[in-house]
Amino acid sequence: MKQVILKKDKILQNEYVIINDLKDLSNFNSQKIIITVEQWLANKNILKKKKNIGIKLNSDESISMIKDDIDFFKMIQFNFITFKDGRPFSEAKKLRVEFKFKKEIRASGHILPDQYIFLLRCGFNSVEIETSKKKFWLEFLEMDSGLYYQP
Amino acid sequence: MYQYSEKDKQIVKNRTKEFLFQVKRRINGDLTEEEFKPLRLMNGLYLQLHAYMLRVAIPYGELSYIQLKKLAEISEKYDKGYGHFTTRQNIQFNWPKLEDVPKILEELADVEMHAIQTSGNCIRNISCDHLAGINNDEVEDPRPWCEIIRKWSTFHPEFSFLPRKFKIAVIACDTDRAAMKVHDIGLKLVKKKNEVGFEVFVGGGQGRSPFIAKKINDFVKKKDLLNYLEAILSIYNEMGRRDNIYKARIKILINELGEKKLKSLVENKFRKFADKKLSLKENEIQEIKNYFKLPISGPIKSEIPFKKNKQYTNWLNQNVIEHKLSGYSIIMVSLKPYNQPPGDATANQMKKLSKIAQEFSYGEIRVTHEQNLVLPHVKNSDLFNVWNQLKSINLATPNIGLITDAICCPGMDYCALATARSIPISQKISRYFKDQSIQEKIGKIKIKISGCINACGHHHVGNIGILGLDRNGEESYQISLGGSADENTNIGQIVGPSFPEKELMKAIKTIVKTFENNKKAKNEDFLTVFNRIGIDPFKKDLYETSNS
Repeated sequence: MKQVILKKDKILQNEYVIINDLKDLSNFNSQKIIITVEQWLANKNILKKKKNIGIKLNSDESISMIKDDIDFFKMIQFNFITFKDGRPFSEAKKLRVEFKFKKEIRASGHILPDQYIFLLRCGFNSVEIETSKKKFWLEFLEMDSGLYYQP
Repeated sequence: MYQYSEKDKQIVKNRTKEFLFQVKRRINGDLTEEEFKPLRLMNGLYLQLHAYMLRVAIPYGELSYIQLKKLAEISEKYDKGYGHFTTRQNIQFNWPKLEDVPKILEELADVEMHAIQTSGNCIRNISCDHLAGINNDEVEDPRPWCEIIRKWSTFHPEFSFLPRKFKIAVIACDTDRAAMKVHDIGLKLVKKKNEVGFEVFVGGGQGRSPFIAKKINDFVKKKDLLNYLEAILSIYNEMGRRDNIYKARIKILINELGEKKLKSLVENKFRKFADKKLSLKENEIQEIKNYFKLPISGPIKSEIPFKKNKQYTNWLNQNVIEHKLSGYSIIMVSLKPYNQPPGDATANQMKKLSKIAQEFSYGEIRVTHEQNLVLPHVKNSDLFNVWNQLKSINLATPNIGLITDAICCPGMDYCALATARSIPISQKISRYFKDQSIQEKIGKIKIKISGCINACGHHHVGNIGILGLDRNGEESYQISLGGSADENTNIGQIVGPSFPEKELMKAIKTIVKTFENNKKAKNEDFLTVFNRIGIDPFKKDLYETSNS
């Protein structure tokens, strides 16, 4: 299924490339790449020499696994295993509040448009969505009155 | 009573609109049933054994007469003419049609009600002492705090997809009428060195592994309350188990981590990362408090009418409590009339009670976690008149706190999770102990009946707890004794092997007889006797004596 990146109401192409084999790293000189936690932990030394790296954590992986290197990443992506697993909401908030992470936080995986406003309010600024579901995501953005009980 | 601001109204309205959109997407197939389920649950809509069930929130158990009237109308228009009041001070409708639900939500919104977060893995309706603001023992009225927490917890962006449901109760005196210690978080308002703040208890709960909440903080300042709650919830959301639904509540987390560890994680988060914007300002607190001023001002001179009428006198003794302002009384309206399902009220009863509340109780009604209702401010001189009116709609049964005042879940008559029926058990108890003098002689006793291990009928904390099980297709009931949900909260001890349905009443009679035989004083109640003699004499009489 075709995926795009939604930032607020803007549809963008995903600039990040997944690298399955880090041997190919040299082929991606200026390109933004995204790696898994496993790749990061095993190849930190090589990867630290690169720029424009994003990291993808599944919802059962905690940012405590990368806590010493948070600022190195250009983007941190939380991949929802299921939309019912709400851990990334707390993780994203923690990144913003406790780690003062200012760069992009992205959501991907099994998430529902019904959760879009919650994502934005917890510090996410982009979501990887299926192109065909775009209208639902935008509809929730439009329905949002901005009236909340929390700061 | 609290009244909606424009913002509250708009938020509820938006939710109804959003729900309509979700129903539409479900019908079109854009949402799978798996995806739709948590969304409908967060709007209080369950799929039960025979039909959908809609659970409507009654925040901290407080209702206006207008709202009660609306609930009556909804039960007539969209259901079968009755509603069921729950142990979380809410009301359930057992037979709404899916297509009617958006209309019901609209009608509810007209009277400032909704079904938001009455289900699902989120923060549920906040429960409270049903005598809040009208008893003499409290540090201050806990209701404004329930409202403050209600707002903070409604559509919380971080805490709407928790590992499991999350229940909070607030009380404000040593007497616990809200079962605070079997909540995920229990808050008790206390006064220390002239300042009022909160004792915080965490990790209580029932279900298949019952736990009593543990105190993790002796004093959280009022201004810090929401930041402290946020720290607890955030740790729970991060660390609560998601691999096993039965181990997902915070009670398991605190048990696995240990009290000390959980406390240090919470304290660390709270101290280092409290959000200034969440700190409560005195004027904000006062603004909420203003809504909860009593509708009556000072004490008045008003006498309770004296009548030579035994039923009336029984009712006065059993169901009427002193109000903190002299001249007024609090009426406990029993929803456990003879042979009826506990907690049920018909449309006619609700309508008439709404009128009684309007005329005699400043328009207020409350719901107790023991599934009864309360008329909180009735002039003493009106008591006979009100009794007559309540009696005419079968709402004056003088059994509050007695053996026929049982808590009971809907059980297998309605619930998809149940393993046995529970309503017929309470009806049998109601029939057998019908005689008022027998009930009074037995005295204060709490029977709590659940139709399955999920413990919606609070069986773990019943003086006599009854749990319905399925034993090879036969209904069978396990009995526990000595449980309690008050300030001395205790989980009951299982007395032994379960009893088949046809032998259950005999067992209950035996338990009552053992208790009566061991009474040292006429007014000694069941729990006192149980705590003195322990479970062994009961076991002996139940299992060893053939002619019990």
